[in-house]
Amino acid sequence: MEMVLEALAFAAETPVSAAQICSVYAEVATSDDIPTEEAVQEAVELLNASFEQQGRALRIQKWAGGLRMATTETVAPFLETFFRRERARRLTRPLMETLAIIAYRQPTTKVEVDAVRGVDSGYAIRKLLSLDLLSITGRAEVAGRPILYRTTDRFLEEFGLNDLEGLPNLRQAEELLGEANFDQERLRLLMANGIDHGDQKPVERTSDEDTTT
Amino acid sequence: MYRVELEDFEGPLDLLLLLINRREIDIFDIPIAQITNEYLEYVQLMESINLDGVADYIYFAALLISIKARMLLPQPEMDAEDDEIDPRQQLVDQLLEYIRYKDAAETLNQQLEQRSRLFTRGKASMPPEVETPEKEVLVKATVFELMNALRLVLEDAPDEETITIVPQQYSIEDQSEHIRRILFTKKRISFHDLVRGQTRSFIVVTFLAILEMAYGHEICILNTFDGNAFMIEQGVIAGV
Repeated sequence: MEMVLEALAFAAETPVSAAQICSVYAEVATSDDIPTEEAVQEAVELLNASFEQQGRALRIQKWAGGLRMATTETVAPFLETFFRRERARRLTRPLMETLAIIAYRQPTTKVEVDAVRGVDSGYAIRKLLSLDLLSITGRAEVAGRPILYRTTDRFLEEFGLNDLEGLPNLRQAEELLGEANFDQERLRLLMANGIDHGDQKPVERTSDEDTTT
Repeated sequence: MYRVELEDFEGPLDLLLLLINRREIDIFDIPIAQITNEYLEYVQLMESINLDGVADYIYFAALLISIKARMLLPQPEMDAEDDEIDPRQQLVDQLLEYIRYKDAAETLNQQLEQRSRLFTRGKASMPPEVETPEKEVLVKATVFELMNALRLVLEDAPDEETITIVPQQYSIEDQSEHIRRILFTKKRISFHDLVRGQTRSFIVVTFLAILEMAYGHEICILNTFDGNAFMIEQGVIAGV
């Protein structure tokens, strides 16, 4: 079973579900004892343990409800260099905000997202749809029958989540405010280096700038 | 009038949080009059350069003014249980809700970064090229900081005495050319120095030209330490 799991998780282009592995196994083995999904999960543990023991650079990850082979954190710098990839593939802040609201409230409508963010999120939603992180799941049974959005399996996979239960808990605002130095530190972080330089004093030019005049 | 389209513009709630944070105000006891005034200053400025998305800001401006008016009522409004209604409650609730999702967005972002360090075969990874919108990477300052810098310079600018309608005295193209010439001789210049002593329309068009050029990767914008001014220089920020 471990060998089958290893092979399928390696060869597949998307996460393979335990059920899929079971049915493949049963079909090929033509034996009567169809393995259970628990057996697959057990094989994952065993395989990962043996990978670790042998100092291998691979692990089986549980993403989007399936199993997928991926490299470990330790070798990330080498792969990043090899692929010459931007180290952090970030989404812009508006995209992240929009995605977070939909992830936690799904299925939800654009109107709700707009209400939380206080701005029109049409652009962000279109962008996220085109990135295949969001999908349309139907229409709400309210006036205007607005479109309902939800996150995709790709979202789960990209964010390393097995299912939506795996989303970090949405924290209470009071809790966030209660954190030490919230006003100074936390908000500043959230504002991503927003201005908090106190009074609007006239611009003091540095000597460096003065030389340019 | 030129339009600057900033699809990723921070919203009015960001602006409010910023103003609240700057004054180190208790979010549960916002001095509405003061915040409204500061907020309106920003919105007026935004209107003057006709930034896209001002409509969202106008809505909150109206909301702030209505709260301010309701707080002036001699008889406080009462709810069904005869408790005083704080006219600010709805706004505070909205700000708090927004903070929660901003936090969640930040957490998810960390999750994404962590996950992106694990590599898979095939197409499981996001296509990288669609991923990073350069314009956000280029500008290290936030839009509000740029606006703040613009506002300070505008305050210094001499008022134009009479209102005469002149056909577009300056164009973005001309100003871009002007900036290019200056940057050719000086590698780096502060916005303040660039527009010193000029009229408001000169300053505004120059500001727009800078945004255009940053968008086109021609220049980059650097913030000074106090956030009240910014510098421009040729080329793209390395390593961002």
